[in-house]
Amino acid sequence: MTTTQRGNKSTIAVDDTQVEIFSGGSGPAVVFLHGAGGNAGWQAWHEELAKDYTVYAPSQPGFNGTACPDWVYTITDVAHFNRTIVQQLGLEQYILMGSSMGGWVAAEMAAMCHHNLRGLVLVDAAGIKPGKGEIAEIFMVSAQTRLKQRFYDPSQVSNYERYTRPLTPEEQTIEHANREMASRLCWRPYLHNLSLPYYLRKVPTPTLIVWGRQDAIVPLECGELFQQALPNATLKVIEHCGHAPAIEKPQEFLHVVTEFLSGLR
Amino acid sequence: MVDVYWFSEQPYGHVTEDDLAPYESGRMHFPNTNFDPEKAHVLYHNYHEQYAWADEVGFDGIMSNEHHSSYWCMKPSVNVDAAVIAKVTKKTKIAMLGNVIALNDPVKMAEEIAMLDCISGGRIISGFVRGTAVETLHAGISPTENRERFEEAHDLILKCWTTPGPFRWDGRHFPHRMVNPWVVPMQKPHPPVWFPGTGSPESVIWAAKHGYPYMNLGSLLDLTKQLKSIYHETAHEVGFEPGPEHFGYLMRCLVADTDEKAQEIGRTFLWTENHRNRGPIEFNDPPGYQSREAMRIKMSRPLIGTGTMGRRMSYEELQEAHNIVVGSPETVIKKLRYVKKDLKPGYILIYGNEGNMRQEDVMRSIELFGTKVIPALKED
Repeated sequence: MTTTQRGNKSTIAVDDTQVEIFSGGSGPAVVFLHGAGGNAGWQAWHEELAKDYTVYAPSQPGFNGTACPDWVYTITDVAHFNRTIVQQLGLEQYILMGSSMGGWVAAEMAAMCHHNLRGLVLVDAAGIKPGKGEIAEIFMVSAQTRLKQRFYDPSQVSNYERYTRPLTPEEQTIEHANREMASRLCWRPYLHNLSLPYYLRKVPTPTLIVWGRQDAIVPLECGELFQQALPNATLKVIEHCGHAPAIEKPQEFLHVVTEFLSGLR
Repeated sequence: MVDVYWFSEQPYGHVTEDDLAPYESGRMHFPNTNFDPEKAHVLYHNYHEQYAWADEVGFDGIMSNEHHSSYWCMKPSVNVDAAVIAKVTKKTKIAMLGNVIALNDPVKMAEEIAMLDCISGGRIISGFVRGTAVETLHAGISPTENRERFEEAHDLILKCWTTPGPFRWDGRHFPHRMVNPWVVPMQKPHPPVWFPGTGSPESVIWAAKHGYPYMNLGSLLDLTKQLKSIYHETAHEVGFEPGPEHFGYLMRCLVADTDEKAQEIGRTFLWTENHRNRGPIEFNDPPGYQSREAMRIKMSRPLIGTGTMGRRMSYEELQEAHNIVVGSPETVIKKLRYVKKDLKPGYILIYGNEGNMRQEDVMRSIELFGTKVIPALKED
């Protein structure tokens, strides 16, 4: 999946913190929250969605070399911070999307206040502790192990060499900072909030849950638990796919997402 | 005057290169099914015999430490080991280097160290360490929190020792609404605090800012001298003139009756060395374990040499560099005099035992230190 130049990168001040945002398109607002690996920038699938929607992809505090307010220590803090971002953007109604750690942030935001949400899309989201399996270790493992965990079948990933080539010094610095920030936010309890399923019972927002069946980081069981917790949720499982459906199965991913979004209009 | 301390990692010496080879790391991945408690029982007994003997023959102190998930150090609690030292020795100082205070309840640490000070009759030197990153990972704590937890734990322990209770502590990591430890230290205002390090300038600066003696754990001499000069600079900035009593140096060292015999026994200092801290960087230096400030200092102060016990150097090269010192009493005296002159340490810490060294060889080495080497070093 290639990064295009059409999404505008801009910076907005949220309280005292500068937040980096990629945005583009026109139509109803979709806010997308990235995972623990950081903000990959304006993606081809953002571009596709931007044909019918205004897509906003902010870098989460402390990720991608951006500043992090001193008070942000937990995913709940990040959720509060994102609610301020959305306010700052002046979005009255919006669709909230999040992948992996970003899905967890999105779910926490929905639990805090759902009145401005037209829809919620959770993609292989962290946040709920599985009952039978476990969320794979992503911090105390090597880069090779992390890459292996991420994709079900690397041959399905276009430009796979992007993930295996040596990083430039600038990329290394950003990756280091991203991993530091993810460690700070997600270490303990590990990538979940025991109370989250109970919060979500009160969230009537139409929700799409998308999961790669072979997700080796956050098991599909967690998708099922999200569906059980949320009163108005549909789970779509993408076959032969790991933790990153937008990268590994872009067409199927876009299909289920656009179908869901069309239903909201 | 230099004080000489005995130290053993208390290795589980039955582990071999072949045992370790299949695993991605020698620490977190190497399964504890390789540990036999019956064998450990025998080893602990030997190590305690070494302590008693070191005390008897004239070592000034015994140093101990703590590591987790490590076959080369069977001490998951320095306080437990210090309790043993307190009871099997009569005179020596007990230098704990140290408690991994970021990972434990500081009030309990303060109580335990105070208890040790009372039991030992005021012989405790209380080192505080951040630990290797593996210690933090093994404790289930985010490496990003180690530094701030360390700072808070340090402040709370000192307060427990110096401020009458009860008092309240509204810390971020260790909140306590009622602190009133019954046992307080015998030494006033509190036991001496030492701070060790290998190659990080940040550790040196932290020690100097607090006026705590800095113990370098076996870096090469050139690097150690650079770190020492950073200590001096920082001490001058905060307004004191450091002396030898602010600086100690740990080195691997063994004495035998002849040079030939010492050379043969000393080779064990390289026991499983390639595996000891082998593992992904995610174990040894995970993101956030070092502060951004530490990284900045590192970038601004290019240091030469190595801070990691001289790995990847041969036995002969390490001896050439005075990083490993082995020999007859005459040879060892000559070499330690060189180190003493070069570094001017107030404390030489003898890392005197490794791997599966035979107990009688180590006991003989301790004896030769006590009867020949230490008196010679004291004469100078």
